[in-house]
Amino acid sequence: MTTPVARRPQLSPDELQQLKWLLGGLLTLLGVGTVLYMDIDAWVLTGLTVAATLATLLRPELPGRVPRWVHALAFPAIAAFFAGDLWLKMELLPAMVRLDILLLIYRNLSYRQRRDDLQIIVLGLFLVIVAGVLTVSLTFAGHLLVYTACSLAMLLVITLGDAAQVGKPEPAQPIRETPSWARHTDWRRLLRRLQEVTDWRVVGLGAALFAGVVGVSALLFLAIPRFQIENSMFLDRFITKKAKSGFTDVIRFGDVSEIQLDTSIALSVDVSDQSQIPVTPYWRMLVLDDYSNGTFRLSGGLRAQFGSERTNSFQTGQARPRLGEKAVWTFYLESGVSRYLPLLGHFDMLRFRESQNYRFAGALALVSLREEPVSMTAYRVEGFDLTTLLPDPVFAERWRRRHEPDQKPVGLQTRLILRDSDHGVLRRTVSEITGGESPGAAEFARRAGEWLRRQHSYSLTPAIPGGDGDPLIRWLVSREAGHCELHAGSFVLLARAAGFAARVVTGFRGGSWNGYSNNFTIRNSEAHAWAEIFDERAGGWLRVDPLAPVVATTGEEPRGEAAVAARLDRSWAARFDSLRVFWYRRIVNFDQRSQAETLKAVKEATQNTGRRLRVALEGAVDNLKVWLTSPWDEVRLVRVAAFVIGVGALGWFLKSVGPGWWRLRLRGFGHRRDDPVRREAGRWLSRLANGEAAEEEAGVIADLQRVRFGARPTWPEPARVFQRAHQALRSRRRRAVSRTGSGSG
Amino acid sequence: MSDFVAASQLNDAKQAVAKLQANMRLTIRGKDDVIEQVLVCLVAGGHLLLEDLPGVGKTTLAYSLARSMDCSFSRVQFTSDLLPSDVTGVAIYDETVKEFVFKRGPVFANIVLADEINRATPKTQSALLEVMDRARVTIDGEAHAVGAPFMVFATQNPVDYEGTFPLPESQMDRFLMRLRMGYPEPRDEREILRSARGGYDAIALNPVATRSEILALQAMVPQVFVEESVLDYLLRIVAATRTEAEFRSGVSVRGGVALRTAAQARALVRGRDFVLPEDVTDLVPPIFAHRLALARQTSDALEERRAVTAALKRIVGSIPTPS
Repeated sequence: MTTPVARRPQLSPDELQQLKWLLGGLLTLLGVGTVLYMDIDAWVLTGLTVAATLATLLRPELPGRVPRWVHALAFPAIAAFFAGDLWLKMELLPAMVRLDILLLIYRNLSYRQRRDDLQIIVLGLFLVIVAGVLTVSLTFAGHLLVYTACSLAMLLVITLGDAAQVGKPEPAQPIRETPSWARHTDWRRLLRRLQEVTDWRVVGLGAALFAGVVGVSALLFLAIPRFQIENSMFLDRFITKKAKSGFTDVIRFGDVSEIQLDTSIALSVDVSDQSQIPVTPYWRMLVLDDYSNGTFRLSGGLRAQFGSERTNSFQTGQARPRLGEKAVWTFYLESGVSRYLPLLGHFDMLRFRESQNYRFAGALALVSLREEPVSMTAYRVEGFDLTTLLPDPVFAERWRRRHEPDQKPVGLQTRLILRDSDHGVLRRTVSEITGGESPGAAEFARRAGEWLRRQHSYSLTPAIPGGDGDPLIRWLVSREAGHCELHAGSFVLLARAAGFAARVVTGFRGGSWNGYSNNFTIRNSEAHAWAEIFDERAGGWLRVDPLAPVVATTGEEPRGEAAVAARLDRSWAARFDSLRVFWYRRIVNFDQRSQAETLKAVKEATQNTGRRLRVALEGAVDNLKVWLTSPWDEVRLVRVAAFVIGVGALGWFLKSVGPGWWRLRLRGFGHRRDDPVRREAGRWLSRLANGEAAEEEAGVIADLQRVRFGARPTWPEPARVFQRAHQALRSRRRRAVSRTGSGSG
Repeated sequence: MSDFVAASQLNDAKQAVAKLQANMRLTIRGKDDVIEQVLVCLVAGGHLLLEDLPGVGKTTLAYSLARSMDCSFSRVQFTSDLLPSDVTGVAIYDETVKEFVFKRGPVFANIVLADEINRATPKTQSALLEVMDRARVTIDGEAHAVGAPFMVFATQNPVDYEGTFPLPESQMDRFLMRLRMGYPEPRDEREILRSARGGYDAIALNPVATRSEILALQAMVPQVFVEESVLDYLLRIVAATRTEAEFRSGVSVRGGVALRTAAQARALVRGRDFVLPEDVTDLVPPIFAHRLALARQTSDALEERRAVTAALKRIVGSIPTPS
C-alpha cells in the first residue's frame, strides 16, 4: 500500500539560480565594502559597483538588456584601464584593487555561469584579504567571518545547482539572453520558499559546525607558536601612505577652517599600573616652534634634533623613573593618525613589536616614524616621566649662555618675525598682562592664560577679524572666540614678546577610561594644541594649556584612581570599543607573553569553574542528605506527594498532547489552522512512511490519514490511533532488529 | 442530507467501483492506472480526451466502460464533412403528424465516443463541446437533455496533424482530463494476442453497475472532505502555474475547480471520503497539462506535451506536501 510521504520540498533550478544571483550580489557588496576602510582611491568605482549590484538585484532582467558590444569590449577595456592605471599612478596594489572592482562590476552586469560565480567568490576574497592585511582591524575579522559564511552558502547553492543539472552540460557560450529565472524574480517569494525548503535542523547543525571551526581556529591560534605577521606580509608597501586626521608639522592661522568632530578612535592605551595615570594626560606628538607669516611649523633647528633615521625595535629615552614607578604603557595607534607617536613626555624605554624605521628627538621626547602607518601600530613605553615639566638640560645651558657673544640666537625659540605694528600690539598686550612687572615663566603663564580666557571664549568655529597684519595677532586683540590652536599660538606669541622661549605642542588631551577593557581610549575629537614655555629656574619646558582652567605649575600632577574615576566610560560605545581593544591585545598584538597570559587565564577559568561546580554539587548532595534525614512530618509528606503528582501530571499531559502543543504555543496563535491533533497525526504518518509498511499497519495508517486529512466528525479516537501507531512503529523496529540478528547469525 | 459521506454509502461506492474495475480489466490488460483515471473522470462527471496513436485501445477502453454499465453507448467518427446535425440530431418534417419532429443524434447516449475529434470542422466540434458543457441540445428553441450520466470520450492522434483542426485552448478546458494509453507491457500484449476477440461487438462484458449507482457515485463527490491544508496545497499549485515563466498563461479557475473535483472523485474511487495530498499530486498532469501552453515555440506537439508535463512535475516537486 502507499502512504503519503512527507516530502521536503526542494528549490527549483530557477529558484537556485535566483538564490545564486542574490548571494553573488551580496558577496560583491561585501567585497567592495572593504574599500570603506582601505586607504585606496576607488570611491567612484565602489559607488558604481554598489549601484550596479543593487540595480541588478532589484531587476535581474537588466543584464539581458546590456548591448552585445559592451560584452565584446568589456575585457579589452578593463585590461586597458588596468594598464593605464598602473602606468599613470605607478602603484600596483591600488591598481589591482580597482581591477578587481571592475571585474566585479562586469560579473554583476552579465549572467554568470558556474565559473563566473566562483570568480566572484575569489575576487571578493581578494579584497577582503587585502583590506585585512592592510588594516588589521576588528572590522576585518567581522567582515571575513560574514564573507566566509556567505561564500560557503554560495558554494552550497552552486553544488545543489550542479546536482539539479546533472546530465545537462553548461552552455559553452556566455549567456546573453535573459534567462527565464531572471524574468520572474520575486525576492519575497524566494525568501518564503527558502523558509519552506530549509530544514532548520540542518541549518542549526551547519551553524554549529561553522562555529566549531571558528572556535577550533581560535584555540589553534592560542596554541601555535607566535610569529610576526607583518614580517610575512608586504602588501602595505605597495600602497602610498597618506594622513587622515591631518596631524602635520604646520599650523596655518590665516585660513582657519572648521574642525570636524571625528569621534573615531585615534589611540588606545593599556596601563600596567593605574596609580600612575595622570588626571589629565597630554599625549604629545609634535612641537612647532617656527612662527612666520601666520604659520607655525617645525623649524630646521628642531628638525635637526630628530637626528638620523634608525632601524631598531627599541629606543632608550632620557627619563630615569624611581624604583617601583616604572609603569608599562602599551599604545595602539590607529592607522592614518600621524607618523609622530603620541607620548606623555620623557620615557625610559620604548619598544616596538618589530624593527621600525624612525627618528628620535631625545630632548624633545618625540619619535617620528619614517612613514605614516596604514595599519594599527603598537608600541610599549616603560617609565614615563609624568611631571608637567619637560627637563631639557641642553637647551637650559644654551639659554643660560644666550647673551654670550659667541652664541647665535638660532633655535632659542624666541623669534618673532612680525611687522613693527604687530610688535607694538604684542608689547602693549604683554605689559597689560604683566602690569609692568617681570614675572617668572610659571607666573607669566598663569597670567597670560587668565588674560586669554578672559578675552576669548572657546569655539570650534572661530572667526578671525579681517584687516592688515598678522592674522593671529588680529585675533589676539579681538574678542572673537577661538579653538585650541589659536589660544596656544597666541600664548606663544605673547610669551616670546615677553622674552620667554615658547612653542606650540600638538597631540591629544584627555581620553576616556574604558570600564570594560580597562584602558584609555582617545578619540580624534580629542586632538588638542597647547604650549610649552621654558622655565629657566626649573631648567625645562613647562606645559601651558591656555584653555585649561588651572595653568599647570612645576611639579607632579595628581594621579591614580581619582583620574580613572573621572574618566570612566561604561557606555555601550565603550563596550564595543573594548572588543576592539581585545582584538588588539589578544589577536593583533599577540606575542608570546600575551599567549602565555591567555593560556594561563583560560586554565585558571576552567579550574575555577570546575571547582565551583564541584563545590555546588557537593553542597547539593549534603543538603539532600540533611533534607532526607530530617524528621518526616505530615506536612512534608503531603508536600512531597503533591510535587510527585504534579510532575507526573505534567509528564502525562506532555505525553498525551505531544510536542505539537509546545510548537503551537511557540508559533503563536496566528496559525489557527494548525490543528495540533492533525499535526500529530502528520508526524506519525511521516514516521511510518519511512521504511517498509507491513500488512498489519494498513489499518493504523488509514486511521492516521483520516485523523490528518479527514473530516473531524468522522475521526476515530485520536489518542487510540496514536497509541496504535506507536505500537506499530515499535513492532516494526523489533522486526528490523530480529531480521538483523538472524541475518548476522 | 449529511455533509459527509455515510459509511454505508462509502461501502456501496467501494463495491461499485471494484466491480467496474474488475470488469474493465477483463478487456483492458495491464492498464490499471488508466482504468482508474477513466473511472475518476466518470465519477467526477467530466469528459475525457484520449490522445494516443491509433490502435492502442482507446475505443476498446470507451466500449468496455460503456458495456460495464447499464448505459447506452454511441460512437461518432469525426471527419471533415461531418455536420453539427450529424452529431446533435435534426428536426425533420413528419408528414404523418404534420409537424417537425426532432430526430436525436448519436450524442444522445450515456457514453459517447467522439473518434478523432480534431478531424471535424470547428463548427462541428463546437456543437459537441456545447453539449459537453450544458448536457443538452437546443434545436429550434427546444432543449433536449442528453443522457445521465453523460460522458464524452474524445480521441485524437497527437502525431498526424495533416488535415486536422486542432482544438482551441478554450475548448480543451471543457475536458476534465487528457490521458495517454501507451503501449501495453510485453506480458500484457501477449495476453491480448492470445485472446481470439474480433471487433468491438465481440466484447462480451456484462453490465456490473447500474445507471443509478453511477449517478449516486457522482452525487457523493461533493461530499468528499477536503482538508484546509490540502486545499492550500492545491491552490499553491494553481498559483505556481500562473507565475511559471515557461507557460504562456496559468491554469484557469475552472481548471482549479476541476482538480479539486477530480481529487475528490479519486478519493472516492479509492474508497475514501477525504482527499489525500497524493490525490492532488497524481492528478496534476492529466488535469492541467492540456490546459497549459508553452510560452516558447516548439517544433512539434509531442515535444510541447513533454515540456509542459516536465514543468508541471517540477512545480509539484517544488511545493511542500502537507504532512
